[in-house]
Amino acid sequence: MMKHRIRFTINGEVREMEVKSNQRLLDLIRNDLDLTGTKEGCAGGECGACTVLVDGKAINSCLMLAVEADGKEILTIEGLAEGMVLDPIQESFVEHGALQCGFCIPGMIMSAKALLKKNPHPSEMEIREAISGNLCRCTGYEKIIEAILNVTQKQA
Amino acid sequence: MAGNVIGKSVVRKDALEKVTGAAKYVGDLKFSPMLHAKILRSPYAHARIVSIDTSEAKKLPGVKAVVTGEDFHQYVGLYLVDRTLYAYEKVRYIGEAVAGVAATSPEIAEEAVKLIKVEYEPLPVVLDPEEAMKPDAPLIHEKLHEYKCVPFIFPVPHTNISNHFKIRKGNVEEGFKQSDYIFEDEYYVPHMQHCPIEPHGTIAHMDQKGKITVYNSCQSPNATRKLLSAALNYPVNKIRVIAPYVGGGFGGKAGATIETLVVPLAMKTPGYYVKLIYNREEEFRDTFVRQGMKAYVKTGVTREGKIMAQELKMIWDGGAYTEYGANITRAAGYTSGGPYEIAHMKTDSYCVYTNKPVGGPFRGFGMGELHWALEQQLDQIACKLGIDPVQIRMINACRDGSINACGEKLKDIGLTKCIEKAAEMIGWDKPKEQTPGKVRGRGIACMVKGPAMPPNAGSSAVLKINEDGSANLLITATEIGQGSMTALAQIAAEELGMSVDKIEVALPDTEYTPYEWQTVASRITYSAGNAVIRAARDAKRQLKELAAVGFGVTPEEMDVANDKVFLTANPEKYYTIAELSLGLVLPNGGGVGGPIIGRGSWVPEGLGGLDPETGQGTKAVAHWTFGCQAVEIDVDVETGKIDLVNVAAVYDIGRVINPCMAEGQTQGGIVQGQGVAFHEQMVFDENGKLKNPSFVDYKLINAVEMPRMSIHFVETPLEDGPYGARGFGEHVMVPTAPAIANALYDALGIRVKSLPMTAEKVLKAIKDKNSR
Amino acid sequence: MHQFMYVKPKDITEAVRILAENGEKVRVLAGGTDLIVRMVDKIWKPEVVIDIKGLTGLSGIREIDNYGVAIGAATPLNEIIGHPLIQQHFAVLAEGAHEIGSCQIRNRATLGGNLCNASPLADTAPALLVLDAVAVVQGEEERLIPMTEFFAGPGKTILARGELLKEIRIPYLPTESKGIYYKHARTKAVDLASVGVAVLALKPGEIRIALGAVAPTPVRAKKAEAFLSGKEITTGVIKEAVALVQEEVSPITDIRATEEYRREIIAVLVRRGLYEIQKFLRGE
Repeated sequence: MMKHRIRFTINGEVREMEVKSNQRLLDLIRNDLDLTGTKEGCAGGECGACTVLVDGKAINSCLMLAVEADGKEILTIEGLAEGMVLDPIQESFVEHGALQCGFCIPGMIMSAKALLKKNPHPSEMEIREAISGNLCRCTGYEKIIEAILNVTQKQA
Repeated sequence: MAGNVIGKSVVRKDALEKVTGAAKYVGDLKFSPMLHAKILRSPYAHARIVSIDTSEAKKLPGVKAVVTGEDFHQYVGLYLVDRTLYAYEKVRYIGEAVAGVAATSPEIAEEAVKLIKVEYEPLPVVLDPEEAMKPDAPLIHEKLHEYKCVPFIFPVPHTNISNHFKIRKGNVEEGFKQSDYIFEDEYYVPHMQHCPIEPHGTIAHMDQKGKITVYNSCQSPNATRKLLSAALNYPVNKIRVIAPYVGGGFGGKAGATIETLVVPLAMKTPGYYVKLIYNREEEFRDTFVRQGMKAYVKTGVTREGKIMAQELKMIWDGGAYTEYGANITRAAGYTSGGPYEIAHMKTDSYCVYTNKPVGGPFRGFGMGELHWALEQQLDQIACKLGIDPVQIRMINACRDGSINACGEKLKDIGLTKCIEKAAEMIGWDKPKEQTPGKVRGRGIACMVKGPAMPPNAGSSAVLKINEDGSANLLITATEIGQGSMTALAQIAAEELGMSVDKIEVALPDTEYTPYEWQTVASRITYSAGNAVIRAARDAKRQLKELAAVGFGVTPEEMDVANDKVFLTANPEKYYTIAELSLGLVLPNGGGVGGPIIGRGSWVPEGLGGLDPETGQGTKAVAHWTFGCQAVEIDVDVETGKIDLVNVAAVYDIGRVINPCMAEGQTQGGIVQGQGVAFHEQMVFDENGKLKNPSFVDYKLINAVEMPRMSIHFVETPLEDGPYGARGFGEHVMVPTAPAIANALYDALGIRVKSLPMTAEKVLKAIKDKNSR
Repeated sequence: MHQFMYVKPKDITEAVRILAENGEKVRVLAGGTDLIVRMVDKIWKPEVVIDIKGLTGLSGIREIDNYGVAIGAATPLNEIIGHPLIQQHFAVLAEGAHEIGSCQIRNRATLGGNLCNASPLADTAPALLVLDAVAVVQGEEERLIPMTEFFAGPGKTILARGELLKEIRIPYLPTESKGIYYKHARTKAVDLASVGVAVLALKPGEIRIALGAVAPTPVRAKKAEAFLSGKEITTGVIKEAVALVQEEVSPITDIRATEEYRREIIAVLVRRGLYEIQKFLRGE
């Protein structure tokens, strides 16, 4: 079969769609669903710009077939804010100036989201580890780490 | 509080869009009808194109256009016009674009590319620039002598040398005679890639009137437009370049690269939007790269540590085309000596063609390469003379009144303050902490850089005052992450006495936003900032004139602050800016003046050329920015692996416009410099093929590796800088690598003179030392 | 990516049948972190991709009474790393698995995938080798293959047409033990191993050593192990053991390291491992 009908939840909404077997989850998100906040930086699972959550776990959407999303719950950067109300992680990134060109930021925030879900009070080293699969060429990571640390301190 | 926003960590203008995923980059844009482009690339580093057969590709259903160098071989280039849009007659590096296809889907385009048949006749490959300089070397550009170039680039006809820049200051032989010691060393820097996380991307469209619109991930909307116009002999106003958010540039998106491939396809398919987004491999192979460089440095010093003479030969591995890169060799040439004053200098900086990817601008524009050599050798000198590395830098540092390599007398220089502060912050005089199993070392390195650009590179700004007293700032600086939107909004707000929230900053669209040379050379805050000041003052002048009419006084009696235009003598009497935005309304309802639009243009004044034989002149660049970094490293002596532990960075940036952004920029630079130091290099095989065109084997620093960083800014105002500000965005990555190299010497008494300092090279150096 | 048929079999029997029918034309999809990259890069162009995730008996970690633990081949690495049974009994495997890729990769990449790719530098392999793990291979029949025999060369395993790696069984260690995995790579995280070394000690005096990225397959250093068996670990003994390890490896030069450097690092990591073991055996 080259085409498949799949049913999945994306950012809280249930969708049913036909996908091609050779389509990546990233293509489904960006091209079919027009959720372009998820970025493509390397297509090899090295840069992390395409990070989304699948069933609560951070994954590289360039390394997952769209058809594998059947029955899954997907969260992309667009699913974090509710209307004008930002997710606390997003708020903290803004406050700390933890962004420059911004291209890695959606993936970075999704990695942080997955981390804080599992571990609400991570150490600095745990944060560094959790985002080590998200390359940033602009910031030197420092403010990003501060921003993530600060979310956890605020919630504490 | 309105105004008073200079020096405040105002929240970035682009923050909300970027953290929510709403910010659009070129790859995120969709139009219809859309075509997808793919490029056929050369498998040979140097070959004659015997024939190209595109007939099968053209027949494939869904293919709308196929172009080759037969159709589009016009020359293009910023400083030296040596590149054709598509390869023509010859290919000169592996990955060079030979043909382009536009089709209704990426899959069809890819299929069509495979159907193009090209016959090549391989030519001798030249990969080593020193070999390429030899008289009998195969020529990569036979017509170099016919190429057009700007007056300050000096190709050597009938050779592979595309630029030879010279400095002859004082009498270098005399200087060596006056020296007690002479040091001679060689240093090497490999090719590097910029690696913006967003690859290059372009969408081009030509309508039936012939108007070309280019949506472009670029640093240079106006330069791109001009380059396309010149190459295609096409009116400038028939080309429109739009730059949405740009996912990192670092120089790689300056000038023109991918655009020159996509626009020809759009010209063959009127009405369609042709989209090309590079994959990571194309990003490595076929965008600008940082040129490799070999430096031969001969330096004479007195026993007290004063540098008397320097003879410098730099050989740049310029790659297959040096249209932009030629100017890097010039920039490094006129910065010979680096941040130190040297009386007698002789420099020869050669840009050399090789069959490698195209050398071009990279954050630092030659300074990373130059300082890798100079800053290490100065440390070697200090060690030999028994002088502290900090001290020898203080002895030789440029100060007010120093004469630099081009004969310019410097003023308002804060380098010595930077050195002292960096040393203090790293704890230079304090005992070192020790990590078990590792050896700690400390090192320091300084740097200087000026904005390398033509003497008349200009900026302009338009400021529209709206009915509610808000403003729209129109500029063509691209937001590549450096924060130009925010910094320029702060400057406008400061001048207008307006809250920064009331200023909306446009993204570049050459149709509407005014001229900006390029977003390069760390020049936007400086140059565009000055244009914004002038635009704001122009708007202010108009506001005052109108208010003066209303109050029946002279404009000089009016002032602007807190969203109001008021009588200086009696602030109770005022118009709000909103009331005057569309002109003054008289009591009878009639209008005076009309809508307020401020305009500002700026070009640095007093810049001139340098003598082609001596490199001497009065002012080579608009200004100089100095800085210093000190580092602490831990070395694992058994594996050679270095950990960068602490970095202290101090730069004299004249005036801090936004502390949070300035700090972030510096942190990013340090970490990029760390990558240069440890990992980054493009590795080529004997045929000129890049062996590591991905992040698997071209490693960037990740979050686990970044060091602890402390940052400080000295503020010695620049006379013509906005509020005294100097450019510094590139500078901050320059000294990291040599500071680490010097720390390695401090730790173990070894030197690695070729980048990167891989664990393997370090271990070899340790073993070599132990076996001596 | 090229076009292919995506198949999700209902059970292992069907999966095995599909594998047998398609031979070279089929590729197994588990975590996809290697498969999809290779398909995108056009290195692999299978006509059929068979998704084995979620098949009963292929995922998850279970205890086998009086034996040890079985890890389904399609179990993601992060699940293994965090699992109490692994943490408690086979921490060295968790260490190895944690060295692979990024967090995102480990959420998808599976143990079976890491092994079936048969990269000489697979970070889970040295740990499994020293743990005397056994691969359970399902074809028409089930067969058990010791991990030491599982790898056949770079990118090659002993899996025959129509066979699927079902699970990895690891026997409980009979006595108090300590395992260590040391990896040398260019960056501190998210990098491929230039050398990987696992060392395992069982009281009173058994020592096992395995290495990755130093030979066409991950290897056990049997000569060194035999030499070390029952000996008191002294500096002199370590030196001799390291020399024996060098005889058992055949590192190559590639973009990540030269042969000479790999040999240096092998010596360093084996030595460091043995000194740690020395402390453990001495009860320090």
